[in-house]
Amino acid sequence: MRTHGTVDRRNLLKFAGGSLAALGLTAAGCGTGSGSGDGTVTLRYAWWGSDDRAKRINQTIALFEEKHPKIKIKTDFQPYADFWKKFNTQASAGNAPDVFQNAIGFLRKYDAKNVLLDLREQAGQGNLRLDGFRAGLEKFGEVDGKLLGIPVGSNSMALVVDQAVFGKAGVAPRAGWTWDEYHAALAKIRDTQGRAGDAGLYGIMYLYDLYLRQQGKAFFTTAGLGFTEADLTDWWTRAHQGVQSGVYADPKRTIQAKPKSAVTAELAACEFTWDNFTVRYASEGKSRYGLAPIPTTDGRRTGQYLGSLMLSGSRRTKHPEEVARFIDFMVHDPEVGKIMGYDRGVPATTAQYEAYVPSDPVGRQIAAYEKQLVESRLLEPITPHPAGADVTEAAFLRLGEEMSLGTRPVPDAVKQFFTEAKTALSS
Amino acid sequence: MDAAVTSVPNAGSNPAPHPAPATPAEPATAPMDAGSGGGRPRPTPGGAGRKGRRGRQGGAGPRGRARRENLAGYLFMSPWIAGFLLLTAGPMVASLYFAFTDYNLFDAPRWIGFDNFTEMFGDPRWRTSVEVTSWYVVIGTPLKLAAALGVALLLNQSRRGQGFYRAAFYAPSLVGASVSVAIVWRALFSDGAAVDRGQQFLGMEAGGWIGDPDRIIYSLVALTVWQFGAPMVIFLAGLKQVPRELYEAAEVDGAGPWRRFWSITLPMISPVLFFNVLLETIHSFQIFGSAYIIGSQGNACGPADGTLVYTCYLYIQGFENSRMGLASAMAWMLLLAVALVTAFLFWSQRRWVHYEEGAR
Repeated sequence: MRTHGTVDRRNLLKFAGGSLAALGLTAAGCGTGSGSGDGTVTLRYAWWGSDDRAKRINQTIALFEEKHPKIKIKTDFQPYADFWKKFNTQASAGNAPDVFQNAIGFLRKYDAKNVLLDLREQAGQGNLRLDGFRAGLEKFGEVDGKLLGIPVGSNSMALVVDQAVFGKAGVAPRAGWTWDEYHAALAKIRDTQGRAGDAGLYGIMYLYDLYLRQQGKAFFTTAGLGFTEADLTDWWTRAHQGVQSGVYADPKRTIQAKPKSAVTAELAACEFTWDNFTVRYASEGKSRYGLAPIPTTDGRRTGQYLGSLMLSGSRRTKHPEEVARFIDFMVHDPEVGKIMGYDRGVPATTAQYEAYVPSDPVGRQIAAYEKQLVESRLLEPITPHPAGADVTEAAFLRLGEEMSLGTRPVPDAVKQFFTEAKTALSS
Repeated sequence: MDAAVTSVPNAGSNPAPHPAPATPAEPATAPMDAGSGGGRPRPTPGGAGRKGRRGRQGGAGPRGRARRENLAGYLFMSPWIAGFLLLTAGPMVASLYFAFTDYNLFDAPRWIGFDNFTEMFGDPRWRTSVEVTSWYVVIGTPLKLAAALGVALLLNQSRRGQGFYRAAFYAPSLVGASVSVAIVWRALFSDGAAVDRGQQFLGMEAGGWIGDPDRIIYSLVALTVWQFGAPMVIFLAGLKQVPRELYEAAEVDGAGPWRRFWSITLPMISPVLFFNVLLETIHSFQIFGSAYIIGSQGNACGPADGTLVYTCYLYIQGFENSRMGLASAMAWMLLLAVALVTAFLFWSQRRWVHYEEGAR
């Protein structure tokens, strides 16, 4: 019995040691590189967006892999907020995806953390063409002389309106209309159509930025906030009155309608948003939806600029050349332009812009809206976005909501916003 | 696991069986023992018997044997020890260090002493999160335990189909923590949904709860209370242990059902009640998933911080604002608070928890 037991134990020890060794081997085996023996290179590509966007992107990737058989693309996507949490964690561990979708608010943030690849060198070597971009967009991803992102499609803030409701109320937005005219229109809609005029513009950082630009200020400077507590107190005090008087929709109801928009949920007749988001309204709601001009202060200046999503590379990628070639293909190839449509905005390069002619009314409206913006020569350069802009935007949205719900008085909300913005922008 | 830790090193040197008579109340106190640490001898009659035999067999070189057996014991435990050191103890020590640093995940942590704690106590949003969490714990836990005890009392009667009801009432505990249920909950408490219509039927025009920062917390409470299955099962086990003859004697003496509950059932199951209170309170402090999902459309844990429970704010600071140092400090504050509440409950049990003679 005893000997038997000892032997068993010894065997057990051997077995345990063996399994531990095996475990170690497996762990070692997990750390594979992205290149393999036959010269094939694998790139990881991540973006945020919906299933529809994923479907389109997968088609463009299939096209790319067909033409570049030595490069394989591994994909990953999440909704916007989750994307950045995952990205931040990966990047902090030095494991950011080789190529990823990027936005203006994150350029300085991740440049300061040495995450972004300067694509200038690859452009110099001819792996990435910087010609053929519309309206000077090739400069959009430049920060302090470094080229950190290549634009994929332009977009602009716009006013999305329920045309049926606007028509019945007898309101016709026109280029250069003023904020007073805009609010008179909202009141008219509230009084005649039994629904709020606007969904609630007070928490949208990019709209407040336009309003400030009309006054010769801006939301951000290169280092911090470009407006004072008095400015924001004024903006939110009037917003609070708007919620009370019903020209802006009841926030309790718009919150519950989410993820549906307040306009398609028939709580409001219009709302400010990015023009390329308009695509979703037609499928979400029953009415007809259109784009209207941004109200102005002086009857002319809207403060608008063309923004864009971008493709960026990771500074730690082992294959910068392949990353550049991939981005080049995605922004210049006409077939890709046809597949993507206006999903990420109006294509940034002339080749893709001309390759895709929208056949649906919404697409045509977006094209016409941006064409008119470019031709009116009203476009201005974009406001700088310092590191911490993303956290500041989240605080602005949240405190705007608290103010509108009445859980925080306006002066309190303003003070809290400045405190949080200061923390976010100084870190 | 606990039993293995204490019994293996003792083998050989302590041949006497543990004096641990099995009493009727033993199953009820067993979980309590596991929670209160390893000082006392454990009621493990089977294990003690085996140990005694092995001790007598020892023969030559008992020390060598003991060492080998220790080694084998630790080897058996090694997966758990490795997991504990790598995934629990290591990160905890690291987070204790981070709590005193400014750490954004990218740059090396910078020592800032108690600054994170000063900032935390001065932050109105942190105080909001403490208020929301305390309210949730104070309202949710008693309601959940009351529901669990009530249903356990009903299920303790001998009627047909009790097995089915037991399973049916336990089911929400299995699915309640899932994401999909939180989404369903959101739909139930929205404008024009089931709860809103129920209110309108009763003549209240209050609207849905999801968009109301003051009321959304109660939809969370309702979700917790609905998952009363786990404490219910424990209560049921406790109720089954109460000796029948006590009730019979009381009935003969003319005690009514309320009196029997108050003077027999409650004192007899007080160890179980204590265990449930302890477990559910700690559990409530840790609520995250359902608050995050029910409260997050646009702003995380909204509207207007209505569902900003403590762990949710911790998550926002850590993963949205990349302030891992501050988030670590918050985590340690939470641990401290839970430890204090637990210590208070243990201190108070002397006054209201009744242990049968010999069970302690």
